[in-house]
Amino acid sequence: MNRRGFLQFMGATSVVALTASCNRSSFVMGTLPGPTDFARFPEKTEMILLTDRPPQLETPIHYFRQDLTPNEAFFVRWHLEGIPTSVDLRTFRLNVSGHVRQPLQLSVDELRSKFDPISIIAVNQCSGNSRSFFEPRVPGGQWKHGAVGNARWTGVSLKSILDRAQVKAGAVDVSFNGLDAPPLPSMADFVKALSIDHARDGDVMIAYAMNDQPLPMVNGFPLRLVVPGWYGTYWVKALSDITVLPQVFSNFWTDKAYRIPTAPNGTESPKELAKDTIPINRFNVRSIFVRPDTDKMLHSGAPIEVEGVAFDSGYGIRRVEVSTDGGAAWVDARLDPEIGKYSWRRWRLLWTPRRRGQYRLMARATNAVGDTQSKEQWNRSGFMWNVIQQVDVKVG
Amino acid sequence: MIPKTKSLVLSLGLAAVLASCGYPSSSKEQDHGIANGKMESMLHPRSDSPVHTIVMPHDEPLFPPGPGRDEFVTACVVCHSPRYITMQPRFSRATWLSEVEKMKDVYGAHISDEQAQRITDYLVSINGKASTGQAPKGTYGE
Repeated sequence: MNRRGFLQFMGATSVVALTASCNRSSFVMGTLPGPTDFARFPEKTEMILLTDRPPQLETPIHYFRQDLTPNEAFFVRWHLEGIPTSVDLRTFRLNVSGHVRQPLQLSVDELRSKFDPISIIAVNQCSGNSRSFFEPRVPGGQWKHGAVGNARWTGVSLKSILDRAQVKAGAVDVSFNGLDAPPLPSMADFVKALSIDHARDGDVMIAYAMNDQPLPMVNGFPLRLVVPGWYGTYWVKALSDITVLPQVFSNFWTDKAYRIPTAPNGTESPKELAKDTIPINRFNVRSIFVRPDTDKMLHSGAPIEVEGVAFDSGYGIRRVEVSTDGGAAWVDARLDPEIGKYSWRRWRLLWTPRRRGQYRLMARATNAVGDTQSKEQWNRSGFMWNVIQQVDVKVG
Repeated sequence: MIPKTKSLVLSLGLAAVLASCGYPSSSKEQDHGIANGKMESMLHPRSDSPVHTIVMPHDEPLFPPGPGRDEFVTACVVCHSPRYITMQPRFSRATWLSEVEKMKDVYGAHISDEQAQRITDYLVSINGKASTGQAPKGTYGE
């Protein structure tokens, strides 16, 4: 429809019908969307659409065949409707305040010019990545395995900024707020915190670049907190305020939300929920298949490369075993060289299926301290999924 | 149907609605930025301009009529896309009710207990299932 026709149509019918007509995946009035919709958001490529307001966008798995996930395909997850859509770098400041001797107001230019830059390749993964695989199902963002990505983050170490601000003795926590805002005053603003020791570990950083480019707006332009090895909930987007606190930080998003049972891998029973919970923190160990395509038929006698990525919270992946017979026999996959302790590590296995039929592929990663993946797992929030993945393929 | 959906449109804002229509959907349009002269800075955000702006597309499903739909549209859609409902699997009434109560008690949605029941009726009618005894309750921070 051209613009003129569009306007005429607009006059003739309701604006509501129109929104549907100009949508990419246009909906017939009064019908529900299908199970998998795709959408293209500003500065992003076509991604799996979970929700549009606020946006939650999942990365299609094939992008994980690249070590660094392209910015335009990197997953997106916001909590509150009021997300920033315009930032003026002339007036934007990162405010550092609270329990410090020298409060700071830093422009992005000052972060670039007055501090030594550091770069870290690190996985960012949503706490609820793979939530849709939990049984019984739990409410929440129904992610498959694509709420994760690996990028080179460049910026300033948080330690150097805190040192410049001269943290006073007795600091306990550091809180982080971004430009996003709740749609109702009754709703808690999204603010997260780290302990002062964690904040000063030298790896936690404030990124102004992602894969050597400014961040897309929906990934946190102009600044994003990077907490290597920790779940994405701590990676505050559009970071604008850092507050050093002489006491433990407390709000809805740390006291009630993003908590896990204390058992390994955050597991509990649906019949008897854990009484004690703690804030979610470091990644557990997991692996994700990126090849073969499960919707393509493989050929008996034809070698193929089975491939995936595995990661943990920074100890390092030491072993990935693959089964092609549903878990009866396991062989070691080849590991690509490490490209960073917080990066994922690629693994490959050359496999030649000898007979026709259905095969169940499985992959199990183990890290440097001997942690490996769950055989079964459940929790009420659908967090920290790391069950050994199963992929069924057909050989013809 | 139209009057019922009117409040939804107004809450989204006409400007946003029009912007979503102007937002180019094909890469060809994007490359040339032909939809609207003002789109230029949004489509080429890495220009020298110190102001970086995007326009969010709106791509929200319109829900079928049913009892409780008005309450749903008024109370829920003002803060989030109806896709928060449609992306979920079919849940029991107990689970949907706990989600509605979470929105009311935890996130401060302005709904009465009676409206919460009506909204739950509607959610169950469009994405519910018969109760199976075990109903995982909603939690926070999805």
